[in-house]
Amino acid sequence: MLANYLPILIFVIVAAGLGVVLLGIGFVLGRGQKDQEKLSAYECGFEAFEDTRNRFDVRYYLVAILFILFDLELAFFVPWAVSLDAVGLFGIGAMGVFLALLVVGFIYEWKKGALEWD
Amino acid sequence: MILAWLIVVPLVAGALAWLGERQSVRLCRWIALLALGADLALLAAIWLNAPAIDPTVRSGWLVEAARPWIPRFGIDFHVAMDGLGLLMVALTLFLGIVAVACSWTEIRERVGFFHANLLWSIAGIVGVFVALDLFLFFFLWEVMLVPMYFLIAIWGHENRIYSAIKFFIFTQASSLLMLASIVGLAWINASATGEWTFNYFALLGTDLEPNIAMWLMLGFFIAFAVKLPAVPFHTWLPDAHTDAPTAGSIILAGVLLKTGAYGLIRFVVPLFPDAAMRIAPVAMALAVAGILYGAVLAFAQVDFKRLVAYTSVSHLGFVLLGIFAWNELALQGAIMGMIAHGLSTGGLFAVAGALQERLHTRDMRRMGGLWLRLPRMGAVALFFAIASLGLPGLANFVAEFLVLLGSFAVAPAAAVLAAVGLIFAAVYSLVLIQRSFHGPAKKEIRATDFDRREMAWSAAMIVALVWLGLRPQPVFDAARPTLEELGVPAVLSDEGAEP
Amino acid sequence: MTFTSAHLVALLPIVVLGGAAIVVLLLAAFSPSRRVTTGATAIALAATLATLPIAARVIPLDVSPLIRIDGAALLYTGLLVACTLGVLGLSTAYLKGLGESVGELCILLVTAALGAAVLSASSHFASLFLGIELVSVSLFALLAYARDEKPNLEASLKYVILSGVSSAFLLFGIALVYTELGTLEFARIAELVPLESASSVYIAGGLGFVIAGIAFKMSLVPFHLWTPDVYQGAPAPITAFLATVSKGAVFVVLLRYFMLADAYAYRPLIVALSLLAGASMLLGNVLALLQNNVKRILAYSSIAHIGYLLVAFIAGGAVAIESASYYLAAYLASSIGAFGVVAILSSGVEGETQTLREYRGLYWRRPWLAAVFSLMLLSLAGIPLTMGFVAKFYVVAASIDASLWVLLALVIVGSGIGLFYYLRVLVTLYLEPDDVTPDGARAAAAPSGHVVLAVASVAVIWLGIFPAQLIDVVRALAFTNG
Repeated sequence: MLANYLPILIFVIVAAGLGVVLLGIGFVLGRGQKDQEKLSAYECGFEAFEDTRNRFDVRYYLVAILFILFDLELAFFVPWAVSLDAVGLFGIGAMGVFLALLVVGFIYEWKKGALEWD
Repeated sequence: MILAWLIVVPLVAGALAWLGERQSVRLCRWIALLALGADLALLAAIWLNAPAIDPTVRSGWLVEAARPWIPRFGIDFHVAMDGLGLLMVALTLFLGIVAVACSWTEIRERVGFFHANLLWSIAGIVGVFVALDLFLFFFLWEVMLVPMYFLIAIWGHENRIYSAIKFFIFTQASSLLMLASIVGLAWINASATGEWTFNYFALLGTDLEPNIAMWLMLGFFIAFAVKLPAVPFHTWLPDAHTDAPTAGSIILAGVLLKTGAYGLIRFVVPLFPDAAMRIAPVAMALAVAGILYGAVLAFAQVDFKRLVAYTSVSHLGFVLLGIFAWNELALQGAIMGMIAHGLSTGGLFAVAGALQERLHTRDMRRMGGLWLRLPRMGAVALFFAIASLGLPGLANFVAEFLVLLGSFAVAPAAAVLAAVGLIFAAVYSLVLIQRSFHGPAKKEIRATDFDRREMAWSAAMIVALVWLGLRPQPVFDAARPTLEELGVPAVLSDEGAEP
Repeated sequence: MTFTSAHLVALLPIVVLGGAAIVVLLLAAFSPSRRVTTGATAIALAATLATLPIAARVIPLDVSPLIRIDGAALLYTGLLVACTLGVLGLSTAYLKGLGESVGELCILLVTAALGAAVLSASSHFASLFLGIELVSVSLFALLAYARDEKPNLEASLKYVILSGVSSAFLLFGIALVYTELGTLEFARIAELVPLESASSVYIAGGLGFVIAGIAFKMSLVPFHLWTPDVYQGAPAPITAFLATVSKGAVFVVLLRYFMLADAYAYRPLIVALSLLAGASMLLGNVLALLQNNVKRILAYSSIAHIGYLLVAFIAGGAVAIESASYYLAAYLASSIGAFGVVAILSSGVEGETQTLREYRGLYWRRPWLAAVFSLMLLSLAGIPLTMGFVAKFYVVAASIDASLWVLLALVIVGSGIGLFYYLRVLVTLYLEPDDVTPDGARAAAAPSGHVVLAVASVAVIWLGIFPAQLIDVVRALAFTNG
C-alpha cells in the first residue's frame, strides 16, 4: 500500500533536488557586484521594511479582488467541464446563467471605472 | 349601541378640538363643553328609558351590547351599564364639564391639544365603567392613562415631568400584573371549557383552586389598590395631584381614583369571592392605615393642593373599608363616598386652581386673610372643606356614616379607628381654611374674586353635594340592583339607617 | 429532482428579487438619475410582494432540499420585503440630505432582501448560511454608506469583525452537527436524532455554536455588545434595516428550524434560549435606562424586544407561533416607524440628530414627526390602541399557556422598566423647546420618508385596534400545522 506513494516520494526528491541544484549553480557560477540595493529583498516595488501602518493605494485591493473573482470563476469551470456529460443541458443552462451574472457584474465594474488606473 | 356612542363622542370631539385649535381657542373649549353635555344627555336618555331600550337585557342591568372584536380569543366589544356604572359615568361627565369650565382661563397654551387629552381621558374612563369584556376593560384602562400622562407632563406645575412619569409607571407596572391575571383567568377558563373568552359573565363562574385564585386576585387587587390608592401604593398620588393642572387634578381625584374602587367592586370580589374574603382583613387594615396616615400627612402640608391630595388618600380609605366590609350598608356608603369625594375634593382642587391662577402659588404660608379680599371664593372653599370633613347634611356625611355602620358589624376595631379619622378630617379641613383664608390679610395680595363662570361651576357642585346629602335615596336606588346581583348580604334587616 | 413549473411559481418571489438585483445593478451602472433607480427598485420590491399570492397557490412545496416554500415562508417574506421597501423610502429621504449616490444602496437593499427571503424559506443549514451571509455582506457596505462619516466606518468595521466571528461560530456548529448526523436538512435532523439519547457532545456543542452565532445576529444578551455601537454609528435608515429585516430574518429561520427539526423536544436548547431571552429582557431594559442617545435607547429596546419575542417563541405550540408572528409584525412596524423618524430628522444633519436633547420640544416644531414618534414609542412600550399592546398581550397569553412563570415575570418586570425610558423620550418631545436645539434640515426630507411613516402609523393603529385581520392571516399561513 505504501508503494502506491512511491511516485510522490520521487517527485518530492526531484523537486527538492532541482531547487537546490539550480540555486547552487547560480550561487557558485554567478559573479555579480553585490551592493546594498541588490542584496535587499525585492517585492512589487515596495520597500521591504517600513512602517506596517503604511497605506496601500486602494486600487491594488480593487485589482486583487477582481482577480480573485475571475480566478474563482475558472475554478468553477474545471469541474463543470469535466462533468459536462453528466450535467447535460441543465448544466449548460446553469453555467450560462452564472456567466451572465458575472458579465453583468463586469459591466458594472467597467461603467463605474473600477478598471481604470487613473 | 348607545353605550358605544358614550365613548365615541368624547373621542371624536377630542380630535375635533385638536384640529379646531387653528380656527380659534374658544372653539376648542366650546367643542369640549358641548361634547360632554351631549354625552350627559345620552346618559340621561339611557337612564330615563332604560327598560324601553332593550327589554331582553339581563336583570340588574340597564343596557347591554356586544359585538365580536377579536374572535381568535373570544374577545368582544362588550359594554353594559348598570346602576353603579350609571352613577360613575354621571360623575365622570359632570366633573368633566367642571374641569373644562375650570380651565377656561387657566390653560392658555396649546388649548386644542389640552382639551383633546382631557376628552380622550374621559372617554377612556367612561369606557372603563361600562366595559364588560375583561380585555376591553384593560384596553380602556390603559387608554385613560396616556392622555392623563400628557395632561400632567405638559400643562402641569413645577415638578411635572417627575410626577407624570411616577404616575404612569406606578399605574402601568401594576396594570401589567392585572393583565397577567386577566389572561391567566381566561386561560384557566379556556382550559376548562375549551374556548377562549374574556366575557365577564362567563368568567364569573370559573372554578379556581384557592391558591391560584389568590395569586390571580392579587394581580387585580394590586392594580386597583395602586389606582385607589391604598396606603403602601399611594406615593404617586400627592405628586401627581400637586403637579397636575387643575382640570387634571379634578379628573384624577374625582374619577380616576374611582376606577380603582369600581374595579374592586366589579371584578375583584365577584370573580374571586373566596380569595377576596381571605384578604379582606388585610385590605381593611390598609384602609384604616390609609385613613389615619393620609389625614396625619395632610395636616402637615403647607402646599394647598398637596394637602387636598392627602385627604384623598384618607377618604378613599373609607371607600376601601366599605368595599371589603362587603355588606349592603357599607357598599352603599362606599359608592356614595366615591361620588361625594369626587364632588368635594374636585371642588377643593378647583378652588386651588383658582388660587394658583390668581396668586401664582399654592404655598399656604404665603396666603392668609384672603377672605377679606375674596369673600365669594372663601365661602365656596369653606363649603367644600366642611363637605370634606363630613358635616351632616352633606353627601360625605352620609357616605362615611354608612361605611362606619356597615363595617362596625364586620370589624368593629377597624370601624372605631376609622371613626378617629373623622376627627382628623375636621382638623385638616379647618386648618386648610384657617391657613389660607383667615388670619391677617397679606398686603401684597391683589386678586379678583370669583366671576360668574366660577360661581356657576361652584354652585353646580354645591347643589349636588347638598342634594345628595339631604336626599341620597336616588343613589341608593340606582346602586341597589347592582348590589343585589352581586349577592351582597344585608347587614341589617332593614334599610332604616339612612338619614 | 425534476423541476416543474410549480416549482418555478413557488420560487417566484425569490426569482423576482434575484432578477431585480441584476436589473438594479445595470441601472446603477448606466442611469445617472436617482429617480429611475429608486423607482425601479421600489417597483421590483412591490412586484415581489405581488408574486406572493401567486406563489401561495402551489404551497406547500419543497423546491430542492434547500428551500421549502410554505405559508410561513410567504408570510415572512412579505413582512421582510415590505420592511425593505420602507427602508428604501427612508433611505431615499435620508440620502437626499446627504448628497450621496443612491444606486448602490438600492442594489444592496435588494440583495439583502433576497437573503431575507431565502432565510424565510430555508429548510437546510446550507441555505441558512447562504441567506445569513447575503444579508450580512450587504449590510457591511450599507453600514458604511456615507463614507465621509467616521461613525459609519466605525460601525461597519465593528459589524464586519463581529459578524465574521459569529459566522465562524455558526459554521463550526453546523460542521459539528454534520459530523454527528451526516445531514444538514432540518427535517432529517428530526428523523435521525432520537432526542432523548441525544446527549452527544457533537450535537450539544454544535447546536450551542449555532445558537451562539444566531444570537449574535439577533443581538441577544450576552452577544449584544456590538448592537448599541453599530446602531449609533450606522446611517439611521440602515439602523432601521438592521433592527428589522436583519433580525427578523434570522428569527424566522430559527423558528423554522425549531418547527422542522422538532427542536422543542430538545430541552437543553430550550433552556439555553430561555436564559438568553431572560438576560436580554432584563439587561436590554436596564441598560437602556442609562442612555442619553435616542439611537442607543432604541438599540437596547430592540434587544429587549427580541427577548420578548423569544418568550413567545419558547412557549411552543400553535399559540406561540401565532404570537411570535404577530409580535414580529408589531415590532417591525414600530421599529421602522421609530427609526424612520430619527432618519428623517437626521437627513443632512452633521452627526445625525441623536441626543435626547435635540429631540426636546420636537412636538412644537414638527408636530407630525413627534406624533408618529410618540405613537411608535407607545407601541414599543405596549400601550393600547397600538399593535404593540396586542403583541404584548399575545406574549403574556403564550407564556401563560405554556406555564413559563419565570419568563412571564421577567416580561412584566422588563416592560415596567421599559416604560421608564420610553416615557423619558416621550416626554422630551413635549417639553418647552430650548433655543439651541438644532432643527433637522426641513427642506431635505423627501416625501417618500413621510409616506413610509404614514403607512407604518396607520398599520400600528389599525392593526392595534382591529388585530383580527392580521391574526386571521397569521393563523392561515404560519406553521399552523407544523
